[in-house]
This record gives sequence, structure tokens and C-alpha cells, in this order.
Amino acid sequence: MKLRVKKARLVRWIVQILFLGLFVAAFIQTSYGVPVTLQNIFFRFDPLILLIVSIAFRTIVAASLLALVLIAATLVFGRFFCGFLCPLGTTIDIFDAFIKRGKKPKPTLRSGKYFTLLFLIIAAVLGVSFLHFLDPLVISERSLTLIFHPAATYLAGIFNFGIKVLYAESVVALIVLGVILVLNFVNQRFWCRSVCPLGGLFAACSKLALFKFSFARTEECTKCGVCEKICPTNAISIEHEKVDPAECIDCLRCIYECPQNVFDYRISPAPSRIDLSRRQFVGAVGTSIIVAPLANSLLHQRISGRLIRPPGAIPEADFINACIHCGKCMKVCPTNGLQPCLLQAGLNGIWTPRLAARIGGCEKNCNMCGQTCPTSAIRNLSLEEKTYAKMGTAVIDRARCIAWEQDRVCLICDEACPYGAISSLSETVRETTLLRPFINERACNGCGLCEARCPIEGRAAIEVFSIGEERKRSGSYITEEKIRLRECQEIDEDLPSGFIIEN
Amino acid sequence: MDKITRRDFIKLGAGAALVTLLPKSLLIAEEKAGPIIGVAEGDNAKLVKAAVDLVGGIDRFMKPGDIVCIKPNLSFASNIDCGATTSPDIVRQMVKLCLDGGASRIIVLDHTIHDATLCVERSRIEEAIIDKKVSLVTLQQERQYTEVDVPLGKELSRIQVAKAIQTADLLINMPVAKSHSATGVSLGLKSLMGLIWDRGYLHRVNLDRAIAELATVIKPQLTVVDATRALITGGPGGPGKTVILNKVVAGTDIVAVDSYTVGLAQWYNKSWTGQQVKSIRAASDLGLGEIDTAKMQIKKVKV
Repeated sequence: MKLRVKKARLVRWIVQILFLGLFVAAFIQTSYGVPVTLQNIFFRFDPLILLIVSIAFRTIVAASLLALVLIAATLVFGRFFCGFLCPLGTTIDIFDAFIKRGKKPKPTLRSGKYFTLLFLIIAAVLGVSFLHFLDPLVISERSLTLIFHPAATYLAGIFNFGIKVLYAESVVALIVLGVILVLNFVNQRFWCRSVCPLGGLFAACSKLALFKFSFARTEECTKCGVCEKICPTNAISIEHEKVDPAECIDCLRCIYECPQNVFDYRISPAPSRIDLSRRQFVGAVGTSIIVAPLANSLLHQRISGRLIRPPGAIPEADFINACIHCGKCMKVCPTNGLQPCLLQAGLNGIWTPRLAARIGGCEKNCNMCGQTCPTSAIRNLSLEEKTYAKMGTAVIDRARCIAWEQDRVCLICDEACPYGAISSLSETVRETTLLRPFINERACNGCGLCEARCPIEGRAAIEVFSIGEERKRSGSYITEEKIRLRECQEIDEDLPSGFIIEN
Repeated sequence: MDKITRRDFIKLGAGAALVTLLPKSLLIAEEKAGPIIGVAEGDNAKLVKAAVDLVGGIDRFMKPGDIVCIKPNLSFASNIDCGATTSPDIVRQMVKLCLDGGASRIIVLDHTIHDATLCVERSRIEEAIIDKKVSLVTLQQERQYTEVDVPLGKELSRIQVAKAIQTADLLINMPVAKSHSATGVSLGLKSLMGLIWDRGYLHRVNLDRAIAELATVIKPQLTVVDATRALITGGPGGPGKTVILNKVVAGTDIVAVDSYTVGLAQWYNKSWTGQQVKSIRAASDLGLGEIDTAKMQIKKVKV
């Protein structure tokens, strides 16, 4: 098959920008009030999510089975995903346009990507998912959520437009993206050549690909060296007159840049083995065995009891593996209360969602996080069922509460509570009626709206702790007992202190 | 240049004194007989116009081309039958009234307690946004406020008040009649807390007195209470007991409107007067209006 693409470069840029645009559009559409339809489509096609989450979670992530299509396509056409579709790859290419390259291509650490892939697989077999550190789609999504969204709302805020969104741990996400981009100074597409496990997976498939780029007309080759220089992944070796299909990202540059028109894209037999030595293989397995248990380090952070997961989050041991830490739930949360963890959920829980109720509570009539979650780590509960999924219990710190300690007329917590979980007890002190708030822990949902609104400076006088949190992997949160409890819940009819009682 | 004679001086002084008295004298009839309270009862679709007509009609408060701010209570993301938010139907009637009065712009605004998007959704307030001239603004950003002095304040000295109402020609306060766990009832005076930035601060000081002081700086020319139903327990957010009253109460005197409305329902299943509500009493003590229902001209109409 003879392929001659005149404007191949342009076509490739258009496709890349288009898919990056689609990715960003899917991100923007991940928003409160927008029904969830195709917003997760990129994750559905991510074979690394299918592979790693399914192994670590011990359950096939059925929604991501579409990724098999991408694997099949790679088995035919090679690593086209990396060259055309990957949003992180495109971002790297855009960044790369500003870097001046030396003449000589530098050698690649090709085995790196197989190493990380193997490392992820073995760690997943050992029951730990490290996917979030390495999957390019997850990194892209998280970068949009934690870096670009707050930045965009900040800029909009300068022009008095929109509502500012803030994330406590944005800087860590920025460092990760920054390192990936800066690595480009070492080598063009360093990340894709040497680190990306998804690239590694596609590379392994590409070894068997039906169509490959190759030196089709070797007799015409003058060994001018142009192809070696322009190849972004150093896949071409003039000396051996070979293009490594595992490295090649189908960027087409050799086709249109070769002055002699030597290259072609055609069906060729499957050759070569994967560039991972036995020693490296053992190294990757060994690394996983050592590192996987470290995922549990810093878990003692959780003893604070302040780690509140979104409503409908499955049990923690499953959650930490099913969650891909992409940040979609945080983007979609209308109160900005869902924040990424730094170390609150242990080392491996970084970027997982937690309800930071002081920033914003969980609104009763919203279940967007569950609707949006691409792996159902947060279950898609109905609005009704969601109100039964208890996230924790509010606790009043009487020493800080101004109604308790300073005899103020407050009860903002009661005002904010949509579950009627705060009752007040009146007490007459020096002929004045005072109201003290109490918590009915069975009615409390742990939504934290009280904590968000508490008028005390700094730490709230009412805070949600994970006491009584209920997390189910399956089955309904609504039980007959809970319905009964809700039915007989008394409406507080204590007299407010705003009245003067005349004798 | 001529010297100013004593006679000229007296003439001038008398003239000046007359001029300062003039706007007051126009309302003097109302002042002598007490503030007018317009109470319309019956068909919910006609209540607002009927009540406003009783206090002089919308033309008394605005002229064509005016910018009008309407402040309903949208604070809670609860369904409208809960009674925690002003009925969108009642707000729509007022919007229509102002449009008929020739308003150039109408801003429906509130600083919500729950998330603004959800409050807007649940309160169905968008049903009141019936024209291009009408906009809905939720005051969730500090930049939407500007600081003003509270000259009569003991609890408050300065407070951040919504900019929008300072540039408007007319502010119409449209609270919903409901109980309140801290202040007893939440009516016109309490509703003003939806126009300031730091609501929490008022709770940290003497809340009832602070609400009254707020009314010294935020002065709606018209207060129209949605008493089509009243949330008599469980307020301000509900859920609680609601009673159907099918009434709208309008008036220029915010204290009088509140004091009268207190008598319309059995708050916490007991009868109260305006004098028994601390915040209303405090406002009356500050001279902000008439608290005694016997001294009001109460006009009623059935529609």
C-alpha cells in the first residue's frame, strides 16, 4: 500500500487539536445540571483503566470494555492513539513546539514504559492500584480539574465573572504536569517514550500490528539522516534500515519529510520482541512487591476521623482501588466542597475526593458526583437514596459554639440543616430564653452544610466526623428501619429565643 | 450688593424650612393616622396587585424608566411547598406589576444560604424571570458588596451591603412568612439579611438588635410579605408545619408590616404580637416604624 500524504502534518495537527478539544469539552460539560452522557467517553476507551482497575478491584470494569476496541485498532494500525488522540501527548507536542532541538537525536530508555506497565500490573495483582500516578488520561483530566479550572475561574473573577473554584492540593497536580512537560527538554516526548504505561501497553500491541511504517524502498535511501532527526520517538534506525513499530506513534513525519520518499505504511510481518530485559522484568516485579505495601503508609492520617467520602462511596478498601483519582467528582460538585486529599487518606489516597465541609457541604438535592464517577467508585444513587447514605455525623464543640459558650442567638447550624437533625433545647438564664443546639445523630446525614455555615472564625464549632458512616458496595441504603425512623422524627417545636414571653 | 435684612433672612429661613418639610407633608396624612397596611386575601393569582393597590398602587413608588430590585427569600434549596422560600408565582406578579409600571430593569436578588444553583432550581424562581428586562442575581461573591456605615449602630458599625440595591431606584422586599429557630419569625426585617455579605457576624453579636440596626441602612420602600402559606414550625429551612393563609401583606412601613403579619398565624402553635418579637421590638425602639397594630390603617380586600 502506498501512502503519500501531502498535508499529513496539517491533518495530524487538526486531529490532535480536535481530540484535545473534545477532551476539554467533555471536561467542561462535566458540570452540575448537565446530564451525564458522553462526558466519560475517554475513560471508557482507556485500556489501562480496564486492565489495572479490574485486577486491583477484582471486578471487571464493564463500562470500560470499549477499550478493547482501541486495543484491536492498535493491533491493526499501531500506536496511533499516542500520535493522534492522547490529550497528554498533544499537550506535550504543543509544549514541544517551543523547544529548540539539537541536531543529534538522543537515545531512548525504551524499556521504561514496559517497566511502569509491569509495575502497575503486578501491584494491581497484589491488590493496589497505582494507576492515578501514571495513566495519561487520568493525569490530563486531573490537570484540567485541579489546575486549569481554578485558574480559569480566577481569571474570570478578575473580570467580575463566575464563581471562583479552589482546590487545596492543586500545586501537587501542577508539579506532576510540570515534570512531565519539563522532561521534554531531555528528549522529545520523553514521557511517551520512557514512562507512559498506556504507551507501553500500546507499544506491546504494536509489535504485532498489521500495518507498520517501514523502509520500503531501501535502494533509494541516501542515508541523509533526516528521518532519524525528525522522528519524535527515535523509532527509526538508518543503520539497520528499520522502524521500531513499538516506538513509532504513527505521526507520519518520516513519510512526508523523507526527500527520497523511502518510507511506506503497509502490511508487514510481526517481528521483534519487547525491549524489556529479563533483569528489568525482575526489577519491575521486585519494585511492585516492595512499593505496593507502601501504598498503605501514612494511613494513620485517617485516625483523625475527618476523612468524609462523597455520598455513595463504596467501602474504603474497594474505593481506593476503584477510584482512578481523576477529579471529575470535584469538578462537578456545586459547592466546591469535594476536595482532593493530600495525605488524609494515606499515601496512595492522594487526589481522592473528600468532603471538606468547611469549604462547602454536600447539598441534599444533588447526586452529581455519583452520576459522573467513571468507575462507579461513587455509586450512582438516586436523589432519594442518596439522602439515606450517611457520610458521617456532625459533632458540636460546645467550648467553641457561641450559642453554648457565649449565650448568643445563633442556630445557623439548624438553619442550614436540611435533614432536621439539629434540635435546640431552651434554657432560661436570668429571664432570657437561650437556645442550645443538639444533634440528633440518627437524622444527621453528615452532609456538613452546618460546618460550612458555622459563623465562628476559623475551625467550625460544629464539624462532621466519619462516625456512623455507611458504605455499601451493593444493595440499597434505604431500609425499612430508616424509613420508620424518618417518619417518626419529631419536628422541633421548641420556642425560639426571639420571642419575649410576657407573663 | 444689597444687604440681607432681617426680614429677608426670616423669609429665606421660613422658605427653607418649608422646603425641607415638603416631602414629609405629602405623606403627612398617612403619618397622622398611622401607616397603611394592605392585606389582600383570596385568589393567589391576583394578590400582589390587590395588596399594592391598597397602599397606593405601584405608581406611587416608581416612575417609568426606574431600576427596581426585588428581594425574595431564596435561601434554601427546598421545594416550594415546604414554605421556606418566597413563592415564584408571587414574585412573578410583582415583576409584572413593575414591568407595567415601566421599569427599565428589574433585578431579582438574594444571598442564598444553600448553594445558589440549587436554591434557584428548587425555589423555581426562574418562573418569575419573564422578560428580557428582568434578571436574577445571586449575591454569593464578596465583590458584589460595598461597605456602608451604620450611624445608629451599637452592634454594627460598618456592614457590606449589596451594590445592586444602592444603584436601584426602588427596593421591594418580598419575604415569605415563616418561623425562625433563632429570631422567632422571619419576615421583612429578617429578610434584609439576604442583602449583606457577612450574615454570620450578626449572629456573633446581639442578633435581634443587629437586625433592627440593619434596617436603619437598608430601607426598602415597599415590603410585600408572601403569606399565601406560612411555615409555622421548623423554620427557616423546614421541614415543618405549614398553614395556608392565602394572603399578601403590603406596606411601606417594614416594622408595621412585620408586626401585623405576626398576628396572622400561630407561630409555634401560639399567638404572638409584634411587640413580643425581639427584632421587631428593637426596630420599633429605633424609631423605624409603628409596631402597634391599633395605630395602623389596615385595609383589607378579598379577591
